[in-house]
Amino acid sequence: MAVSTVHTVQSLSSTCSISNPTKSHLGFNQKQLVFFKKTTTTTRRATTVITCSAGDTVVIGLAADSGCGKSTFMRRLTSVFGGAAEPPKGGNPDSNTLISDTTTVICLDDYHSLDRTGRKEKGVTALDPRANNFDLMYEQVKAIKSGVAVEKPIYNHVTGLIDPPELIKPPKIFVIEGLHPMYDARVRELLDFSIYLDISNEVKFAWKIQRDMAERGHSLESIKASIEARKPDFDAYIDPQKQYADAVIEVLPTELIPDDNEGKVLRVRLIMKEGVKYFNPVYLFDEGSTISWIPCGRKLTCSYPGIKFSYGPETYFGHEVSVLEMDGQFDRLDELIYIESHLSSISTKFYGEVTQQMLKHADFPGSNNGTGLFQTIVGLKIRDLYEQIVASKSGAPLEATKT
Amino acid sequence: MHITALGTTLHITIPMAGVAGVIITTPQVLALESPRKLQSVKFSLLNNPWKRCTKFGWGRMYVHPVAATPEGISEKVAESVKKAEEACSENPVAGECAAAWDEVEELSAAASHARDKKKDSDPLEDYCKENPETDECRTYDN
Repeated sequence: MAVSTVHTVQSLSSTCSISNPTKSHLGFNQKQLVFFKKTTTTTRRATTVITCSAGDTVVIGLAADSGCGKSTFMRRLTSVFGGAAEPPKGGNPDSNTLISDTTTVICLDDYHSLDRTGRKEKGVTALDPRANNFDLMYEQVKAIKSGVAVEKPIYNHVTGLIDPPELIKPPKIFVIEGLHPMYDARVRELLDFSIYLDISNEVKFAWKIQRDMAERGHSLESIKASIEARKPDFDAYIDPQKQYADAVIEVLPTELIPDDNEGKVLRVRLIMKEGVKYFNPVYLFDEGSTISWIPCGRKLTCSYPGIKFSYGPETYFGHEVSVLEMDGQFDRLDELIYIESHLSSISTKFYGEVTQQMLKHADFPGSNNGTGLFQTIVGLKIRDLYEQIVASKSGAPLEATKT
Repeated sequence: MHITALGTTLHITIPMAGVAGVIITTPQVLALESPRKLQSVKFSLLNNPWKRCTKFGWGRMYVHPVAATPEGISEKVAESVKKAEEACSENPVAGECAAAWDEVEELSAAASHARDKKKDSDPLEDYCKENPETDECRTYDN
């Protein structure tokens, strides 16, 4: 009981927000202490709600090119934590935010300082830091991390305008997804874990063709021109962020099929930084050694082109990293479970959890190759990281009361 | 037609039966259409009564979808590609060219998201998510 008293006092002083619940339809999506206080002086009808969260919000950064919020990675990640992530009910229908019971995902495009016309006038792409308000991004992420709700602007991707803000309440897991999560040094400090999705040019071209060829206005040349025109800004501002990421998922064309340019079979590398607090890299057989593994053989039969794994230590931008690589694709369920049983340090709570998660979303793109597998594994690692952080934070006040 | 002359005044009474038939239908038009549309709608509806049925679904109101449909976004994508090609034909290295193609990319992504959303959205499910207590959305467990 002593512990809880100390804890409450601490949170009341630093991490509470007092709000008039005019927008209460957004709903409470996390467990928190709520005090209802009726003001008896002038306004009879007003109730002041003091909402406090324990300040244990874990902030994850995800850097990915164009488009946010509804991407496959986010859906896999929120699914690992349980619950379906949906746009906020009753709010702006073009909101980029996703909210589930434990997670809130925001799109960093909402921090654009210039809307589409503004950028066109200045001749600046969305990739350029000049089009983004990093000060506001830093302030709001800091506020969420310390348990204070914020009014975040909305960037409407359809109209290209900046819409009126929406209320974001501090969740347990706060994911910021976009082009520049690790660009600003102050925001980088706030991130508990960061991921960079590095898609190689050939694969990006193949994916964009698949996505855009159905559109009336597009042709092969226009898709190519679009990628080429954005490349200079991308290489200058977005690409350098990968050196700061704790995990990089690199997607390359396969080496198993010579001259495959459809981008169907992929070679995916999970590059994990060593020495990151609460993060233990996944490994194959023996940590720190170099392994090359082809699971298909006598015990497991795979169809063409098969599966090839490799694992080993490397250096990446001057850091020590461990790289787990998968080339090829899964055909059947038993291939997946076989592989899962040979991977170590995947932070699953029960045998077959990775397979279960992959099967749950079998219709998502990448469910049969390394992209889906590594995204799911990273999701489990983030859950493990969250639980470790929470355990360490609740351990601290216990220590304080003991002395 | 009945004409009577009383002193210097002339009274003309016209049987109202034929005219009454016309007047009866117009109040329906008045109730459903806004007054300023009255002039153009009144006559076209009277002359083409089949149009009334298709427009209002056999007497019920037809609710048009309000959100941006993929059709609207599709138009935007096509437009933006044309504008980008124009902007770049003048000066391929300038910021305007890059910004124009960036816009194309943004709109293509939005179009793709809209397509995905439309693909797995069920109008009844969406309605029931917001209003679970209505008759259509009630579920019974026994």
